Amino acid sequence: MTETKRIILNPVTRISGFLGIDATIDNNLVTDARTEGLLFRGFEKMLEGRSPLDAVYFTQRICGICSTAHSIASSLALESALGIKVSQQGRYLRDVIHACEFLQNHIRHFYQYTSPDFVRLPKGNTLFETDHNDFRLPAGKNDLIVQHFFDSLEYSRSAHEMLAILGGKAPHNHGVFIGGVTSQATIENISSLKMLVQNIREFIISKMIPDAYTIADYYKDYFENGQGYGNLLSFGCFDRYEKLGTLYVDPLVYSGGSIMAFHPNEITENIYSSWYADKKVAYMPLETVPEPDMSKSEGYSWVKAPRYGGIPYEVGPLARMWLCGEYRNGISTMDRTLARVLEAKKLTDIILTLLDNLIFGIDVQREYDIPQSAYGIGLTDTTRGALGHWLKIENGLISFYQIITPSVWNLSTRGQDNLPGPCEKALIGTTLKDTDNPVELGRIIRSFDPCVSCATHVYSKGNLVKSINVVP
Amino acid sequence: MNDHEIFMNLIKNNISEMQDTIDSLYVSCNACTKNILLNRLRKNMSNLSMLVQGLQNSASASVGTGTYNPQQNSTRMFTTADLAKYNGKDGNPAYVAVNGTVYDVTNNAAWAAATHFGLTAGRDLTSEFTSCHAGQPVLSRLKVVGMMA
Amino acid sequence: MNEPNLNCTNSKMRLETASVLVHKAINAIGQNKIKKGNLIWLELTGCSGNIISLLDGADPNFKNLATQMVNFIYDNSLMAAEGESAMEKLFGVIGNDFILAVEGAVSTKNDGLYNIIGRWRGQAVTAFDAIKMLGEKASYVVAVGTCASDGGISAARPNPAACVGTQNLLGRKVIKLPGCPCHPDWFLGTLAYILMFGEPALDDRNRPIMFYSTLIHDMCPRRPYFDQGIFASQLGEETCMFKLGCRGPVTRVDCPIRKWNNRVNWPIGDNSPCIGCAMFGFPDRMEPFISYDTTRKE
Repeated sequence: MTETKRIILNPVTRISGFLGIDATIDNNLVTDARTEGLLFRGFEKMLEGRSPLDAVYFTQRICGICSTAHSIASSLALESALGIKVSQQGRYLRDVIHACEFLQNHIRHFYQYTSPDFVRLPKGNTLFETDHNDFRLPAGKNDLIVQHFFDSLEYSRSAHEMLAILGGKAPHNHGVFIGGVTSQATIENISSLKMLVQNIREFIISKMIPDAYTIADYYKDYFENGQGYGNLLSFGCFDRYEKLGTLYVDPLVYSGGSIMAFHPNEITENIYSSWYADKKVAYMPLETVPEPDMSKSEGYSWVKAPRYGGIPYEVGPLARMWLCGEYRNGISTMDRTLARVLEAKKLTDIILTLLDNLIFGIDVQREYDIPQSAYGIGLTDTTRGALGHWLKIENGLISFYQIITPSVWNLSTRGQDNLPGPCEKALIGTTLKDTDNPVELGRIIRSFDPCVSCATHVYSKGNLVKSINVVP
Repeated sequence: MNDHEIFMNLIKNNISEMQDTIDSLYVSCNACTKNILLNRLRKNMSNLSMLVQGLQNSASASVGTGTYNPQQNSTRMFTTADLAKYNGKDGNPAYVAVNGTVYDVTNNAAWAAATHFGLTAGRDLTSEFTSCHAGQPVLSRLKVVGMMA
Repeated sequence: MNEPNLNCTNSKMRLETASVLVHKAINAIGQNKIKKGNLIWLELTGCSGNIISLLDGADPNFKNLATQMVNFIYDNSLMAAEGESAMEKLFGVIGNDFILAVEGAVSTKNDGLYNIIGRWRGQAVTAFDAIKMLGEKASYVVAVGTCASDGGISAARPNPAACVGTQNLLGRKVIKLPGCPCHPDWFLGTLAYILMFGEPALDDRNRPIMFYSTLIHDMCPRRPYFDQGIFASQLGEETCMFKLGCRGPVTRVDCPIRKWNNRVNWPIGDNSPCIGCAMFGFPDRMEPFISYDTTRKE
């Protein structure tokens, strides 16, 4: 006798943006899953006709927790289009800003987004109330992590202060621009930055990493779920400096046990299961931005299906730590969380190295001319994984803008290949302990750190009922 | 009421408001109320500085009668094509036309990058002006450079 | 040149408003003179950057808010509950007093289906539904950020999701706190004021005068450069950036004094122009943000 149940989890909270999970359960086993991004604004369309330089500020507003990432990808794409070579000092300054955003995110993601799944928060606030009972930490360890939950607010805030010292403000900074940044390294701001990053580093080493391993100790079953495909991709970040070499990871992919170089031309997007229409079902990023079309019968989401070499790839801290060789424990829900906190510590190392190599008082800005026509590509790994901006300029204005965010890679729909996206694959095959409290689903999804502000989805209104079919 | 009288009334109003605000400041104790009162003072001062500028423009344009009459004092004529060149870019000043008069906004604070709330310079902006600023003494503060033909 | 004089009472007063108000409110709550409010924070059609900005508050800060000022009932980014359970908490507030903070615009395209915030009792709940169901019932509605206040970048031309600001959908008054994002002080100061005294003094765009009364241009430390016509020709310079496109002269909010992120810096202090992010015309009517071809000599 099989019992088929359908579970809709909407909203998945403690992520950035709006996400729903639609899972089919047979006897406590997830046999099918669809991830649904639930927000569409149409930034690619909005950018057409605007002044190219404005894209650096405009695209930041795609996302509030990873806005710096977009300012950097946009700057890279514009530099590519305008033929601007960034000086090393400009790169160092910009990459310090970038690293600060990673830090802010990872601290918040571990404590504010992830820990409430595993740790009981104090009574007295509806925000902290939850229904399930799968809390396994003994009271002492639980309360210590709760203490750190509140302590961490100061450190994630401090990471944004660091960002603002060089970038003017956070979120939505001003300092990142083509050519590097608009501010200069001074004795004063560099010593402030060093002090602040040392404090954050100390917190990560003495509290955040041990807390993550504590949780991992009591939830070892989460090393056995959420595996996904095991295909990992990175566009590279903090890499290929002239003097310093690669401080983190080069553009690389991992699949079938091998690490290979990354080739940008292998990226395609597939709209087979997405509500778009175009002459082609699969295209390369500079070819087209498809138009909406909800009448498609195969469509179930607005999230497109990016592929590398025709197959789905996972991106994010685990991919990076794996590709550079620093984390090879495994690929699973808990491995993703551990990789993220370990990456946070690594980023503090990177920031200190960059700060040590800064020369005071260098202004990297110039006046820039906009060509009448050009095209540019900006690829960088960022907080959640691989981010790409592709743009074209005609008559001195933006005529085409394509954005593929890390979360579109991870939350990808099925393509014409009928392969589930990495998150969907990670959910499928999970055994739920209690189908009335399917805590596993949210925990697995959150390990990917989804940021759905750019993924898109349209859903039809109607009654969806949890159905239980009893088949004799 | 001519422009000069309008200015004088506005100046008197602002001064009177400032008087009240300063009186209130003497008696208020809490930081928040004081903040609001100080903000009001700042706004009055900003108004006064604009009005002073308007009076200065007025004084330099008048021919001794104390009235401001742009038509009497500007002789350069602009066609639409002429005006279009003055878009504030590449070395050209920024000019805009309202109700037949052409004004120079090149260094006007509200015209950064020679644009104002999405409007570009080098154009006749009469209808946009009327729908946004009708009744406000904005034009009197601007430098006149000619008339539309 | 770039520092406000903190010995000046004016600057000090402005800076401390939010902090003073919040601590007064917390004291009053502690002494049972006023009640903790119930707070719903709706993230709608936007980037969810305002809640991140709120977490960046130093003094006052998020811990003050969540543990001392309000019973924080709902927020998509931070709440422990998920799915139907989260939705029950959201709609369970109807019938009680609550303050509704909204960030993000509201998509009205296709019956609002371009932005679904959850499923409740078998039905999709759109951003539009949520505003309609909760907006008229709240004791106060505060639009946090430019998108909620005036449509902002979510409504940028050609506005593919047909976004509008909160006030467009509600008959009752919405207090607006524009900014991209909204500074945590502006929100926490306004909330504390509401808890103690009710609606603060608002200007003709329903923005609290205590934060939004003065043009950036009138408080800018680089104003002497403007007045003498000394203009920067590229970003990264320390003079006035009017000719690069600075929107300080048309933007009414207190960034030059308050600055950002525990007062470490602000856009103009970072040698980049103001892009008018707290104004109702942002972004379409504040563009181009950066121009190198503006005439510098008269």
